[in-house]
Order: sequence, then C-alpha cells, then structure tokens
Amino acid sequence: CKKVEPSTAIDENVALGDSSHIATATIGVYAVLRNPDYVRSGHFLMEYPGDNIAQGQASSDDLSRCYRYNQIPTGTHATNFWKQAYHLIAAANKIIAVIPDNASQASKQLKGENLYLRAMAEFNLVRIFGRPYTQGNGSNPGVPILKENSTDIAPARSSVKEVYDAVLADLLKAADLMSSSNPNVYASKEVAYALLSRVYLYMNDNANAIKYAGLVINSGRYNLLQGGDYQNYFSGVPENNKETIFCIKHTKTQDQGFSAIGSMYYSGQGPDGTSSLTTPGGQGNTGWGEIYASRTFVEDLNKYPNDLRHSFIAPYTIAGVLQYNQKLTPNTPMYYITKYSFQEGIVTLSSPVYLRLAEMYLNRAEANAKLGNSQQAIDDVNIIRARAGIPNLTLADVAANGVLAAVLEERRLEFAFEGQRAYDLFRNNLPMVRNYPGTHALNNTPTTNIMQTVLPTDARVVFFIPQTEIDNNPKLTQNP
Amino acid sequence: QTVVTGTVKDNKGVPAIGATITEKGLKNSAVTDVNGKFKINLKGKSGVLTISYIGYKAQEVTVGASGDVSVTLAEDLNKLNEVIVVGYSSKQASQLSSSVSVISGNKLRDVTSNNLVGLLQGKAPGVVVSSASGDPSSGASILIRGASSISASTSPLVVVDGNIGGTYNPTDVESVTILKDAAATGLYGSRAANGVIIVTTKMGKSGLTKIDINSVVGFNNATFGNFHLMNSQQLYEYQKTFLNPDPSLLKNNTNWLDLAFRTGITQNHTISASGGSDKTQFYVSGNYYKEQGTLIDNAKTAYNLRSNLVTNLSDKIKLSVLLNTIYTKDNNPTNLFTGNALYDAYLSMPFDPAYNADGTPTDGRTYPGWVGRDKENFLHGLQYNFANAKSLNTSGDFNIDYAITKHLSFATYNRVTLYNYRDETYYDTRTKDGGANSGELYNSNSFSSTLLTSNRLKYDNSFGNHNLSLLVVGEGQKFHYEDQYLNGKGLPAGSPVMSTATDIISNPSGGVDEYNFRKYLGQADYNFAGKYFLVGSYVHEYSSRFGSNNPSGNFYQGGASWILTKEDFMQNVKAINFLKLRVSYGTTGNAEIGNYAALGLYSIDQSASYNGAPGSYPSQKVNPNLTWEKMKTANLGLDFGLFNRIDVNIDVYQKTSSALLFKKPLPATSGYNYVFENIGSVRNRGLEINVNSRNLIGAFKWETNFNIAFNRNKVLSLDAGELTASPGASLPIAVGHDMNDWYMPIWAGVDPANGKPLWQKLVTDANGNVTKQVTSVYSEASASKQFTGSSASPKFTGGITNTFAYKNFSLSTFFNFVYGNQVYNDSRVYFDNDGLYDSYNVMVPLKSWTRWQKPGDIATEPKAIQGGNNNSNATSSRYLENGSYLRLRNVTLGYQLPQSWLNSLKIRTARIFVSGDNLVTFTKFTGVDPEVDLSPSPDNIGNKGISSFKYPISRKILFGVNVGF
Repeated sequence: CKKVEPSTAIDENVALGDSSHIATATIGVYAVLRNPDYVRSGHFLMEYPGDNIAQGQASSDDLSRCYRYNQIPTGTHATNFWKQAYHLIAAANKIIAVIPDNASQASKQLKGENLYLRAMAEFNLVRIFGRPYTQGNGSNPGVPILKENSTDIAPARSSVKEVYDAVLADLLKAADLMSSSNPNVYASKEVAYALLSRVYLYMNDNANAIKYAGLVINSGRYNLLQGGDYQNYFSGVPENNKETIFCIKHTKTQDQGFSAIGSMYYSGQGPDGTSSLTTPGGQGNTGWGEIYASRTFVEDLNKYPNDLRHSFIAPYTIAGVLQYNQKLTPNTPMYYITKYSFQEGIVTLSSPVYLRLAEMYLNRAEANAKLGNSQQAIDDVNIIRARAGIPNLTLADVAANGVLAAVLEERRLEFAFEGQRAYDLFRNNLPMVRNYPGTHALNNTPTTNIMQTVLPTDARVVFFIPQTEIDNNPKLTQNP
Repeated sequence: QTVVTGTVKDNKGVPAIGATITEKGLKNSAVTDVNGKFKINLKGKSGVLTISYIGYKAQEVTVGASGDVSVTLAEDLNKLNEVIVVGYSSKQASQLSSSVSVISGNKLRDVTSNNLVGLLQGKAPGVVVSSASGDPSSGASILIRGASSISASTSPLVVVDGNIGGTYNPTDVESVTILKDAAATGLYGSRAANGVIIVTTKMGKSGLTKIDINSVVGFNNATFGNFHLMNSQQLYEYQKTFLNPDPSLLKNNTNWLDLAFRTGITQNHTISASGGSDKTQFYVSGNYYKEQGTLIDNAKTAYNLRSNLVTNLSDKIKLSVLLNTIYTKDNNPTNLFTGNALYDAYLSMPFDPAYNADGTPTDGRTYPGWVGRDKENFLHGLQYNFANAKSLNTSGDFNIDYAITKHLSFATYNRVTLYNYRDETYYDTRTKDGGANSGELYNSNSFSSTLLTSNRLKYDNSFGNHNLSLLVVGEGQKFHYEDQYLNGKGLPAGSPVMSTATDIISNPSGGVDEYNFRKYLGQADYNFAGKYFLVGSYVHEYSSRFGSNNPSGNFYQGGASWILTKEDFMQNVKAINFLKLRVSYGTTGNAEIGNYAALGLYSIDQSASYNGAPGSYPSQKVNPNLTWEKMKTANLGLDFGLFNRIDVNIDVYQKTSSALLFKKPLPATSGYNYVFENIGSVRNRGLEINVNSRNLIGAFKWETNFNIAFNRNKVLSLDAGELTASPGASLPIAVGHDMNDWYMPIWAGVDPANGKPLWQKLVTDANGNVTKQVTSVYSEASASKQFTGSSASPKFTGGITNTFAYKNFSLSTFFNFVYGNQVYNDSRVYFDNDGLYDSYNVMVPLKSWTRWQKPGDIATEPKAIQGGNNNSNATSSRYLENGSYLRLRNVTLGYQLPQSWLNSLKIRTARIFVSGDNLVTFTKFTGVDPEVDLSPSPDNIGNKGISSFKYPISRKILFGVNVGF
C-alpha cells in the first residue's frame, strides 16, 4: 500500500535535509514573520498605545484595548503576537541549529538572516511584554529566551537585561555572518546594524547607538528620499525604496483587505472603487477607517503647512469641508492615515517598514542629545527637517525645552504611526499625554491619570502575558 | 397439478395488493393483484399455502376441495417480529443481544426536511440531535450516548445498505437502525465508538407494480422566541442614559429583522415505482425538494434519483445494483455567504433608513448621518451579490451474494461514491463588500472518490436446537479528495464570471487529501432453541491516519441474551408476553481525526511563501505513536412486553474511552500550537428507556411512544499529572468533571454603590486559604476562573409521540425535550453590552432585569456607559442561561380517502394531510432559540453549547397528499 502523504506539506526531515531546502525554509521564516498575527497584531500593540492616533468609536475588536490601556490577559492581539513571534523564533532555531559557523558563504548568510529574525522577534517581544530597559536597568521580568537545540518547550521568563543581551549577541553574530547584498525585504549586514542602533538606544548605551547608526548611514546603501519620492514613500514598490532598510514585504496577492493595518486608518472613496490617496471616502468603503491622526499630532504637523509629511495623513472632506466623527464629544476631525495604503496602487496593500534610514539619523541625534553633544544632535535633526521642507533648528530654538525634546518631537512627526512613539517616551521616562478627543478617555484603568496621562511607571505600559500561555506553561509569571 | 385461486384482504376488508402466496415447503409462489386476487399452480402435495403481507401476521391455509381460498389477514402488532438490519446481517428484533433503536421511514418523515439527521431528533433514546441553524442548507449534528472524544469526531458511523458511507435521500429510506452498544456495533467496531446509523433504502417486492406520489407544499416562518430588539423609541430612550443621541434619529424606525426574514415556501415531491417478479425486483424514485430559507435569498434545492435493482441470476447467485444520485443547489448558504444579512439584521440600527425616497435600498456608506457601525444596508448589497453552491453526490453499489453450498455463502459488496462540489461567491463593485476591490469573485471546486470493497464468507447451520453462524470479512476503503480555489477582482458590474476579472485577489490554491483503511474481522453467532443467544467478534483494522508505530488496532465484542418468555416457567405469567435480558461488552475505536495528524510537517503552501518565493515552515509536531482511540462499552438491557400492548426497552450502559485523540495545546515556545496525542480517559454512564404503548386498539386507536435518556459524563484521567486538557477554555475538560462543565469568571451582579460589574475573585491568603471576594476588574476575574456548577450537557433528552386514529382520520403529535443544560448566550455580548457598542442595536431587556441608575440600586444590569462598563460583557457566567426546552416538533392531521371512492378511480390509496413543524417551544432562554450544537465537529468545537447570531429555526405549516396506484 502506498504511503499516504499530504500535498501541501513535507516531512520535517526533508525540509532541512540539504542546502536548497534550508534556503526554502528560510523563506518560510520570513513568511511566518509576514503572518498578520505578527505584523498586524504587533502593529496594534506597538502603535496604538501612542498619542499620534485617536480612535473615533468603540470597536468590537480587542485593538480598542491596546489603544485604551485597558488590556486583559486574554487579549486577542497580544496572544496572536506572542504565539507568532515564538513560532518564528522556533522556526529560525531549527535552521540556526543545522548550519555550522564555518559553512559556505551562502549558508552563513542564511544563518545570519535567521539570527537577525530571531533577534528582531525577541526584541519586539521584550518591548511589548517587558518593562522598559531603562526602568531598573533591565532587572524586570522579560520574556522566555529560546535557543537553538533547546529541549525545554516551556521555559520561564528571563530578565529584560538577559533578553537584550541575547538580542545583541544574535545581532552582532548575524552582522558578522551576513553580506551587504540582500534587497531591503530580507535581512543583511546593515539591517542587523540598524537594529543594533535601536536596541542600544533603548538600553541607553548611546555610544553604541551612534556607532551602529553611523555604520548604516556610512554604508552608502541608503538615501533619504526627497520631494515627491518622499511624499510617495509608502505607495511605491517596496524593494525600489532607497530609504527602507528593512520592510516586511507583502506581494500584490497578499493584500489583507478589510483586515489590513491600513483598513483601520483609511477608507477610500466608494462605491465605484476608484479611490486614491487624494480622494478619501466615508468609513466602511474600502476600510474601517476608525483610527485617525490625533488632534495634537495634526496640530504639531500644522506648525509648518509646507511640511511634506502632510502627505501621510489625508483629511476626509466633502466639497472641501472637513468631516467630523460625531460619535465623540467633542466631535473628532477625520484625518485618515496613509502610511499603510496604496502600495502599487492597491488601497489596503502595504509592506510595513520596520527600519529606515531616517531613524538612523534620529537615533544618532537622540543618543548625542543624551551624551550632551547638542550640536551634533541638532545637525541630524536638521537633516530630517530639511528633507521634510521645514526650517532648520538652532541650539537657541531648543534652549527652552532642551535638545532631547526637540529630537523626540522630530521623531514623533517623522515616525508617526510606525510603532515608535510609546517607546520613545517611556524609555526616556516621559509620560504619554493624550489630550485630545478619542475613546481612550471613556473608560480608563484606575491607575492611569484620569483622561489623558499615562505615566511610564503605569502597569499597563506593558501587556499581559497571554493567559493561554500561562495556562500551558506554569513557569510563566504574569505582569502585575 | 391443481390451480388454486383466491382473494386476500386486510383486516379492514381492503384488498391486499402484493401479498405473497407460497406453497409450503416449496419455492413456488404467487402475488396478489390490485384486487387482492391471486392464482397459483400447486406443485406439491401438502396443499398448504402461506400468505404473507408486510405489517400483517403470516397465515397458513389448507386448500379445500373448491380450490378457492379467501383469506382475511390479521394486523401484526408485534414489533418483535420486525426484521432489523444490524451489522453485516439482518435479524429479528427478538434475537438481538444488543441495544438498537429502529425508526421506520414513515415515523422518520413526520417533520418535513431533507436532512436525515435532523429527522432523528427525539425519535430514539440516547440519540441527541442538535442543530445550531435554521438554514435549510446546513446540517444537524448527532451524538449517541454522550461525547467521549475530545479532538476526534463524535459523529456516528453511517452505513448505507450494508456498506460504510454512501448516499441516500430521506424519502427513499425504508428504515434507520441505530446501533448503540458494543455487541451491535461490533463488526464496525474499529470505527464505531460513536455508534452506528444504518440506513436501509427501499427495495421492490415481487408482485404488481406500485406507483406512489407524495407531495407536500407549505410555508415557513422564522421564530424568535423570547428575543426582541429595540425599536427607535426604545433605543433612543436607552441611549439617552449614557450619551446624547440626536432626537432627529427618531424620524426612522426600521425593523431590520422584519426586512431580513420572510415567509419561505417548502416543497417536497416524490414519485416512486416499485415491484418486480420472482426473479427481479426494483425500486426507482425521483424526488424534488425545495426549501426557501426564512432569511431572504437563502434556499436549498435538491434533486434525487434512486434505482435499486435486485435480480437472481440463478438459484445460487443474487445480484444487487443500487444507484443513487443527488444534485443539490444552495442559494446564499450561510456557511458561504449571507450578504451580511443575518448579522446586520440583528445589529443594524433602527435609526437608519432601509430605503431611499425612490424606493431603492439606501447605501450605508454614502447615506448622510448613517449611525450603524458597519455602514452597511444588507438590502443594498443583496441587490447584486450572491453565493451559491452546487454539489453532485453519486453512489453506485454492485453486490453479489453467492450460495456456494446450502450452508456456506460468499458475498462481495462494492461501492463507488463520487462527490463533486462547486461554489461561487460574488461581490459586485457597486456594493460595500465588493467596492474596495472593484468587484470580487471566488470560485472553488472539489472532487472526491471513495472506493470500498467488502467481501464476506458466511457459514450457517443448525444441529438440532443448536444454531450457528460464522462470518469472516475482509474490507478495504480508499479515499481521495482534491480541490482548487481561485478568485478574481476588478469585475465589471453585474458580470459574475471569472473571465471578466482583471486581476487576482490572492493566488490560486488547492491540494490533495487521501486516506486508507483495511479491515479483517470474524464473528460467531450462536443460539440454542431460539432461547439463548451468544455472539462474539474480533476486528483488526489498519488506518493510514495513525503514526508509523501503531497504525493498526484490535477490537473484540461479545454479547448474550436470554428470552425468558420461552421458558416453561414463564408460560403461566400471562401479563408478560415477552421478556428478554441482554448483556454485552466490547471494545470499539475512533479514527475520525485529520488525515495526517501523526506526521512531523513543514507546510509548503502559500502561507509559507515570501516575496513571491516558495518557502516552508514547521507546521505540525510529529507523534509516531499516535494510534486508535479505544472505548470499552458494557450494556445491560431488558426488553419486555405486557398484555401484548406495551413494549418496553430499558438499557443501562457504561462507556469508557481511553487513549483519547487529543489536539493538545502547547505553549508557543514549543514552536507549535498543538500536537496530536492519545491521552486520558472519559466515561459516560447512562440509562435509556423506550416505551411503546397501544393505549386504545378499538375503532379509536391511540398509540404512545415515549423515550428518555439520561447520560452522565466524567473525565477520569488525562496526561500524567494534568488536571485539565484545555486549561483556560470555557469547557476545559477537567479530571472529575463532565467534559462540558462550564468554567469561567463567575458573575457577581452589579455593585450597588457605583453600577460597576462585579465578578468573584479568589484570594489566597498566606496560609493558603482561598476566600471569595468580588472585583470589578476583569483581569482579576479572569485570573479567578471557576467551575460554574453547570454544564453544556443536558441531564436528559427525549421525545414523546402520540398517534390517534379514528376511521379514516389520524392525528399525531411529537414533542422533543432537552433538560438541564446551560447555554452560553454569546449574542448578549452584543445585544446586552452596557453601552460598549453604541452603534449596534440592543435587545429589549426582560421584565425581570433592572438597570443600575443611582447609588444604592440593586440591579441586574450594570450602569450603561459609552464605551462599555469595565469589560462587563467579557466572558463570564453572566450570559450562561438555562437551555432546557420542550418543543412541539410536529403535529400531523391526516385523512385517508375512503376505499369505495378510490376503487372506481383505479387508485390504490390516497391520503391528504396537514402538518405543522416546530409550532411551540417552551423555554426560559432569552435568545432566539435554546437549541445549540451539542456535538460540533472538532474544527468547530469552540461553538459547543454556544448560541450566537442564530439563524432561527422555521415554523412550518405544510399541506400534503399521498396517492398510490
């Protein structure tokens, strides 16, 4: 009798049996990364606690709890992300285990990519579920660390510091193993450098944050997009983007439709489907369109009407009149967000950008600001401001609030909606002040200051460990 | 040679058509004609004729000198003489050692439906049928004697006309036999852990050709039970308590439920012909069934053709050829598409208008000031969008029975079943659903084939009072399935064909699925003088679904019974006309899991691709030891008949399943979501009672059938040291508990001080003592989940049928009941949400519910707050409700047209009737209907005991006529 085998899966021994299968399995790790449980749920966890967005109405989706700081241990998105991130790490581990460090250059590249992917997943886990490194210098509980060849399928949480150390070790080794040739939808030497710069910045290791930002900037592989190219940053073909260091590629046939990240931010004009970036429509046409740019973000952006970054929001107007969401008091103006829409002309398609060159300048600026190198910090900020078409700052301009505040404000405008804002504030021990209309003010947890201010010490700055994981792994402790 | 003529009439004096007249001891027979007359040439010398006629006692007459015989037959009221199809053979009911229930085709078809499983509801003790939806294209699920599997299917094995699987239409069913204990299920033992349903289709009888026409037409309406949604005024008043609704909203008062539901029409028409000669008999039938769902645009249409042919090729060889084809078309089935009508019908706001001034449906996307959350008017989409599914299900049986010698016979039963399925779902560019992609079209096709051969050698002999039969069977089954799925976007308005698409939405997909089974079995069946019965069997079966270490399973079964009324000492007990004791014990198996559950796999499908390149990722953890789930069943049965009027069957049983197939959840740090394992043990114990009573047998007849079944389920053990199989789940499967015990935060009402929700919180002090406190923080409550003391399993279920007949009138009523289960009313998460969803409609609260308004209020409902009150609608015992109900499933009033009218019209029989289905349901459940899926498929297990956005069941009024020629 013939052996009965599935048609859409292969035996696990075959899958890692030779170098061509290992290359295929590495593609598979990127595919695990591309899963909406990682990309979309992760986006909600990283961006929605920020102050650049406002939710216009109560939603049936658990994403509301990410936004409102009233998470529960059974939250959908934290559960999705945790599971998918560890699936990614486990998939990478199987490959890391079978490639020796003295393998061929091609194999070393694959090993490096898997080390990078593992480090990235673990870094995101620790910043979502573990308290900021700068609180207690990493002594708080982090997340479990999974190493290749480990047989413990239910490990306990390591400390935040231990996780950061593991992430650094992986990234350094990955950078060592990889070349510079891979397109920006895969990992390469500079991708590892870029993430090293961010990780060091989170650890307040400013010298190293500057060092690795510099390695990326000076590699010459990337350019800041200018003018119209910049304004169309997110609607082009991802691989052709000279500023992107690493993005999570979605092909035209991987459009997520109403389940896309962009669906929450933008709704095009209907009903004929001929929407474009410049023609937003009412909610429910091409997307839910219920998360808007916050009023304070729009006000900050409006300081310079010519700021090119206006291209990343789209006021919903009818006959030139800005529309307001009536469900909130006061009513909320509907400024859609377009960073996750219209890749290659498809309204809800996007390849979320994880690392881009502008961050290297502003990582370096933040690190220099903290080291007291004010002029160097301002110089990097001005590179970004010049590209945005707004006036340069001088040290005198920032004297009142300090250089760091200027850097953070520039980061806010530049990386809005890219999952950076909450970490920018909390790692610098700053509160999240959400003084604008939105459903976050409806039902706060007792420890958050009424209405708008979330202190960096608030328990809900980090998410609960998913209850199902605690149920299946008694060694996991819950966050308070 | 003598020619004998005669007339045969039934007890009412009506000519018996098709009665068989056999010359005693010889193979010489004749059949009565339409006037009940027959003619037979006697070949032997006894001069004794045996006259048999279905439903009447066989009668022997001695031919007198006149050579003319007139016989009036007596009705056979003794069900014990009925021949029951069990396992690989047929037996008289009185000779069985096992627990079986038989439902005749006529009893089955009182309710009008095209779904056999649904028709079984309440008809037999211990058979729990439940259906979550009133969609005519959706099925029902069935559970026999309680669930005893976790991740494997709990559905019984279906056997049609002697072979596993196959197809059938309810109109062609002669009888359904349900095998419940190990002795009965024995020969299917390897796959019979969940019981066996044996469907026997109708066969022709030698004699005159009979033509029957049955026609039913009627109306169906949705039933909403105790559930009511708010109208505009009610919703406005409610919302005023927590936000400031614009009074202008009151200008509309749309009843979306009314717009979504309609009076549907059900039609069921069958024409059949049967008959044949001594050598060859046939039954052919055609059936057309159409049921319009009560949800607009939803309908099921089915065409069925069956042809059963049996012919004796010689004295020794009998050939049977059975063919069945069913073509089904589902319009807008809810599993494929509802155009959001079902969901939106419940949740849309009465403030939003359904129609524009010109009568066209409004478009929620562009209508100014639309308040409904989803910006959608389903009526707008339904103008252009649709889905349909078509399937062609065909089976062909080719069976040969060969009598090698007087005592030894060989049979080969072979079947091919082919299934073709195609569906399409279309979203027009003008609608909300299709607008984003400028029109969308989804097509899928699948094909499956099941090949089965079953070869049987049988030895039968009697030695004085010793009767012995031996059976050896070798069987093989091979299943192959393939499917393709594609989609397109950018279609011009109103062009729902793939060729008009300008691009694809996602890449085409598809694959192949296969499995094999191989089985060998032996059975010995012995009885002494028709008084003592013994049966024993052994089965060995291989399945490709299990791990390389343990793909085969061995099973054995044994049973014994004793007919006490055949003993001399019982002859004087006149009140007891029949008494039998039965006992059986044996093992059965379950292999109903996915086809590749034991393998360690890397997925290579599209989910593994990145940037257009094919990839692979670990998708399933290996378990080479995965093997058959096994169940040990003990059954003790008592059958007795009193005064020739009352028949009672009582069974007690214990089923203990072990090595349960379980999709064990793993922590994500394992790299997998789950692994398939054999774990633990679950026990079901129960009592089943079935009573048939002929209360009145005079001119006015009254017969009652009552059945009731009690089942208790308990998880005995799990993996070493584990207390729950699915920790954290609402039905966690915990040692010492019913598998269906609810486990969740316990609702503690509303805080009188501030109107916040309260749940119980378990606090452990320094000494380890646990005390119960209350909290209004849901994360604390969810860390304090508890067993609620209630279960999704009913305490008992059953049905009661009363049939009355007087002269030509007959009336039957059938109730079914479910008692003692709790249902999680998930819809209240949306309809009773304390302000969380201010753009969804809400339910009208029950009179006994009170809303907190000011400090000091003792209320059942928390204070309503825009954006919700502290997760008050998150999972907790707040929404657990009593799921008991008593339902009048059917009432049928019939009138048999007098024979005197019909004779002149050459009509054999004619009956007209009116029938009502689901007329009344008595329940306290606050949702649309308390009936929920009690045994969903493993893929759907999360829906067990949960009621959510239910497609209501239909109340049907039907008019029918049966005419026979």
